[in-house]
Amino acid sequence: MNDIHIKGLHEAYFVPTVNFEVETGICELAGESYLEETIKFYTPLFAWIKEYTETIKKPLTFNFKLSYFNTSSSKCLVDLLNMLKTYQKNGGEVTVNWYYDDSDEDIDEELEEVEDFTIETGLTINKIPNSSLKN
Amino acid sequence: MSENTNNEKSMLDNISISYTGMFDTEVLSVLAKDIEGTLSSDEKVNKKVFKIFIELAQNISLYSLERAKSATGEDMGIGTMIIREFDDCFEFSTGNKTTMENIIPVMEKCDNINSMSREKLREYRRLQRNMPAGEKGGGNIGLIQVALTADNPIEYGLIKCSEDEYFYIVNVRINKEQPSEKKTLCKTPKKSTINE
Repeated sequence: MNDIHIKGLHEAYFVPTVNFEVETGICELAGESYLEETIKFYTPLFAWIKEYTETIKKPLTFNFKLSYFNTSSSKCLVDLLNMLKTYQKNGGEVTVNWYYDDSDEDIDEELEEVEDFTIETGLTINKIPNSSLKN
Repeated sequence: MSENTNNEKSMLDNISISYTGMFDTEVLSVLAKDIEGTLSSDEKVNKKVFKIFIELAQNISLYSLERAKSATGEDMGIGTMIIREFDDCFEFSTGNKTTMENIIPVMEKCDNINSMSREKLREYRRLQRNMPAGEKGGGNIGLIQVALTADNPIEYGLIKCSEDEYFYIVNVRINKEQPSEKKTLCKTPKKSTINE
């Protein structure tokens, strides 16, 4: 099983940065997600999670650092979180962190949506302000 | 100069961005850059307008009755987009051709959205997000997202073009400032209209 590394792009469409690591089980999804073919982009990520949770079966940590995602992407994010919830239900160890820019005055709408992701999937999502990472 | 011409001039003066044509990748990218970078000095407002633009532009690309092939051979919808700036808000309007059969459920959806509180809208988005994607890959939640982002009702209108064709207009306001204690709409919402 291989890692997934995708470099984010902000061009006609916005490709998020993806770093999924088999060795550590640490997975990062960062930047902006607004894609020409959303499902086509997320399908290999779903396949990676499926393989990891069925063969590696070690703890998984998901770090979301998304500053923007459109509604099509949000459907895929919910699908991804549902996969993690299923893994957790079956005994897998899952941590989900959602990093947000607390210097942004208009963060309420994003945090509302993160709360909705928790309600939709039943998965605990730790909301972590970026400022807490700085020394 | 007649009063009518003055009104038209003032309408034109308020226009920040206006586009009519195919909603293909290249055009969307140029419009998105303009909105993100130069629309106003308030980043918060620019982000809101941008989020609304992405969802409404996708609706035109996918659902406009009037269609053309892009340079890369993709089938894309044709429509109109106008962003106007007023003292206290931006108004974002889109228009595209449609049929009565296709647009009735969309108008019903707008009425439904406009009748809901923010909490109800979030509940509606959660419900719709877990439904299968639409036939054309749409998420079924674009309009709900527009209402949540704008925090204002979605106004719409319909103009009859011919026996079978109508021009469907969507209009949303994005307030420039939203003081938490006295949040008001920038104007009284216009009634949704069907002009024949």
